[in-house]
Amino acid sequence: MGLQHTSVPRWPTADPGVDRTGRAYAVMSFGPDAAPLAAGWGRELHALGRTVWSWHGEAATDEAVAELRRQVEYATVGWRLMLAGPQCDVLRAHAEALRGGVLEAEITVLVTDAVRTRVWCAHCGATTLADAALGEVTGCSGCGRSLYVYHHVSRRTATHLGFMADAEELQ
Amino acid sequence: MTLKLVVRRSTEIAEGIREIVMTRPDDGPLPAHPPGSHVVVDCGPQRNAYSLTNCGIDPGAYTVAVLRRPTADGGSGGSEQMHRFQPGDRVALSPPRSAFPPVSTARRHLLIAGGIGITPLLSHARNAVRWGADVRLLYVHRPGAGAYADELSELLGERAQRVTEKSEFSVLLRQALVSQPMGTHLYVCGPAALMDRVLQEAAAAGWPPQRLHLERFTPAELDPGQPFTASLGRSRRQVSVPAGTSLLEALENAGVEVPNMCRQGVCGECRVPVLAGRPLHRDEFLSEDERVAGDSVMCCVSRSETETLEVDL
Ligand code: FES
Repeated sequence: MGLQHTSVPRWPTADPGVDRTGRAYAVMSFGPDAAPLAAGWGRELHALGRTVWSWHGEAATDEAVAELRRQVEYATVGWRLMLAGPQCDVLRAHAEALRGGVLEAEITVLVTDAVRTRVWCAHCGATTLADAALGEVTGCSGCGRSLYVYHHVSRRTATHLGFMADAEELQ
Repeated sequence: MTLKLVVRRSTEIAEGIREIVMTRPDDGPLPAHPPGSHVVVDCGPQRNAYSLTNCGIDPGAYTVAVLRRPTADGGSGGSEQMHRFQPGDRVALSPPRSAFPPVSTARRHLLIAGGIGITPLLSHARNAVRWGADVRLLYVHRPGAGAYADELSELLGERAQRVTEKSEFSVLLRQALVSQPMGTHLYVCGPAALMDRVLQEAAAAGWPPQRLHLERFTPAELDPGQPFTASLGRSRRQVSVPAGTSLLEALENAGVEVPNMCRQGVCGECRVPVLAGRPLHRDEFLSEDERVAGDSVMCCVSRSETETLEVDL
């Protein structure tokens, strides 16, 4: 897998503005901070005469992701995805879109909160939702190990890699 | 490296179009290549790039199709020479170069061909059918000049649309551009006006440049451009490049050797790394991403947007 799939994304935390080059749009937003931003995008796109499908929820749940998958499946080229919300949620939606064949160039992202993270445990494979920045330590919800949040993001599974904080000492 | 091949067959396959089949003198295997590759053929005074119609796996022969383009002065075109080749004639050509391959992650390949531009797309179509990939073809040509029409309809059946009316093409193009599933990549080859139009309409329909791939089989008309200075990073020399002189020519005049082949921005041979400054890309070789990266330049045709372009020479 290429570097582009594993680097930590650097997405804007200020409104990047609407990408006007598309023909039809899906706007997805997560959490209260993202709602007014997404609503603004929706208004602007409607005013431009574009077709817009909007979705808002508290988080990128399994249902939200399944809904997005359906949208991508029925989308034709010319479609754009605009995402707003906490990093862990937009990352998950972003990953789903890429899996469906959407290109980075067709996705606009606005991150409202870069702290909440989904951490994938390298030891038991569980995914933990944590308020932990890169380099911090958080407990694994699966095996209870203390995980160091490593600066490696899987864009495919939308998780940060976490491994046992004191692994080195144990060797 | 030059391949020395023998013409085995030359057949008129449509009005003004000859198909030329070349093999090694001993009929041995030739270098394999990705679909959509081209070779640069020595045709008398000129070297021309021609697409290979083979899909590229294990080729025993290279096949090109050449449209005769009579020129006003009676033959700078090189295609005249290609049409004169007889079985048994020797021909010198470059190994295949890939500048127009299918995107492996594409969910569908939409092929759009104008006239003789069908040749690289025939290679794509054969490859797609071989691997069971989702493919569609839209092919427009003059009446009577539909090279490979039968073969394509046999290969693709309903998935191929072939028209000779411009108005009909317009309608089909517009329909095609708004109905492709997400993940489709578009490949176009044909006359410059057709390609410009397809790219323009695709952009208007929301296609990002990353999904659009083109192969120009005639070099774009290039304007003389603005003068600039090439700064040679290694030898610490400054070479000025006047309008109307290519960077490659200016380097050659200054005694700097750069490998080159087609001198028209298609073969990829003359690529030079850029250390500073912004290249003005005018070639057909670099991909969209490589253009954006701006860290190399095809010096036979491309110039500089900045007053100085620092190159790693
Ligand atoms: S010499 Fe062929 S691209 Fe420049």
